[in-house]
Amino acid sequence: MKRLFRIYKPFTRAGLLEMVAYRVNFMFFLLGEIMRCFVMFFVWKAVFDSSAESSIFGFTYDNMVVYIFITFLSGYITYSDGSYAVGKEILDGSIAMRMIKPVDFDMCFLFQELGGKILQLLIVFLPITVGVEAFRWISNGAFMLNVPMLLLFVLSLLLAYGINFFFNVIYGFLAFYLKNLWGTGIIKEVIVNFLSGATVPLAFMGAFGQVLGYLPFASLSYTPVMIYMGMYDVPQIVFYMSLQLLWLVIFAVASKLILRSAMKRLVVHGG
Amino acid sequence: MMRYFRMHKVFIKQDLKKLMEYKVDFLLGAVGFLLEQAVQLLCLGIIFSAIPALCYTENGVVVDSWSFHEVLFIYGFSLIPKGIDHLFFDNLWSLGYWIVDKGDFDKYLTRPINSWFYVLCEKFCVDALGEFIIGVALVIYSTLSMPENIASGILWWRVLPVIAVMPFAIMIFTSVKTATAAISFWTKRSGHITHMCYMTNDFAKYPAKIYNAFIKSVITYIIPFALTAYYPAIFILRGEAPWSLPVTVLVSVLLFIISQFIWHKGVSSYESAGS
Repeated sequence: MKRLFRIYKPFTRAGLLEMVAYRVNFMFFLLGEIMRCFVMFFVWKAVFDSSAESSIFGFTYDNMVVYIFITFLSGYITYSDGSYAVGKEILDGSIAMRMIKPVDFDMCFLFQELGGKILQLLIVFLPITVGVEAFRWISNGAFMLNVPMLLLFVLSLLLAYGINFFFNVIYGFLAFYLKNLWGTGIIKEVIVNFLSGATVPLAFMGAFGQVLGYLPFASLSYTPVMIYMGMYDVPQIVFYMSLQLLWLVIFAVASKLILRSAMKRLVVHGG
Repeated sequence: MMRYFRMHKVFIKQDLKKLMEYKVDFLLGAVGFLLEQAVQLLCLGIIFSAIPALCYTENGVVVDSWSFHEVLFIYGFSLIPKGIDHLFFDNLWSLGYWIVDKGDFDKYLTRPINSWFYVLCEKFCVDALGEFIIGVALVIYSTLSMPENIASGILWWRVLPVIAVMPFAIMIFTSVKTATAAISFWTKRSGHITHMCYMTNDFAKYPAKIYNAFIKSVITYIIPFALTAYYPAIFILRGEAPWSLPVTVLVSVLLFIISQFIWHKGVSSYESAGS
């Protein structure tokens, strides 16, 4: 374990430095993305104003606001673009340079990305959670944040990130078969966002949503968000987090197997 | 002027040829955009399954409300000018993301045509057809399926002034992209600033009244995407906000002038990547 960290520490550092170099771009990007949350914030405000009931599909207005922003937050933290990095290296052949070095191909990406996440966490995590809690505090007159839940939320986010990382590495290997990952990337993004409950809470989709809850996509975003909101009781938390762990193991093993078979097919011209 | 039109046609033809070579890529991109819109619509459908109409209330009193069909109409309408701009002038995105950064802008300066025009027409983005077609389809579908009491509010002559103003609405998109992409002449990269401004377009897809005063004035006057979507749509539907049509022309021309000014300032301070 210690050796692992020693080997990959430079990658983490590189990722962090890269993020520092592009921090202004990142901030603008973030500001743009958070705008989408505010659109949904106002739309749902109007929806709840229009409804005679105080809750819709079991969500109150407060719940919905927390849902919108925490879903955004967890989407950001669990985001992984390993697929682009892998795909690009396969296409331009620079993957060959990685293969002759005594480091694991996917671990390099993992640690490099984690380095970038350190800064992102500081910029994204604190403002959003503080904002959401302030909102809840004002509208309820009481402090709602539950520390054990917050810790479980962070743990669940880590699992979600792992699943997403390996899922994206697997997807990146599609570059062996497809020339361009851009079009399929959009399709993937839309499908994942929908199936993971990032666009509409799965609870709104009735029985269909219940089924989606068991798929790996729900583990990416829905599970941590529900834990944060306190919508799950203890047995549910245990169940869904075990499910996350299961999917993480399945995806990690699958990505290793695919990596091995893909390497046999790999042809790099020149270099 | 005619020369530029002719040239644009040549560029489009070239791009269509490129497209034929990467048919699968193009198809996948188009399917992606279609899916994205489909999911958004499903979202709207789910929201509206819980409420009879979207209301705007002030102190608990309903001031204004929009039915599902009206919201669909506004949503669909918003995709039309956006789609047209996307179809013809998408290349400005690449400028802010990598053309300037890599020093590739040199190419545009060495040709005997206006550099802005050359960047604009270099790429013809067929993926945008998906956006445009969905927009038109939604507008048609929502009007056909509207209940009688809403449909009777539509006066068809109102479509004509809206179509007349449409080029100006499209120009709002192009100008916002031009101005923000031109920032890259100083900063090397500005795609993220374009992205940020563009995201405010999401606000324009829904009735502008539901937002607070700050956001409403931003999307009406500063980054005036509401003028390309909500206001013309509600004008067709109900005859509300007729003032928005002349304002659109005015704001659009003003934005165009500002964006051209920034562009020319930017080009004169452009330094190549030097590699």
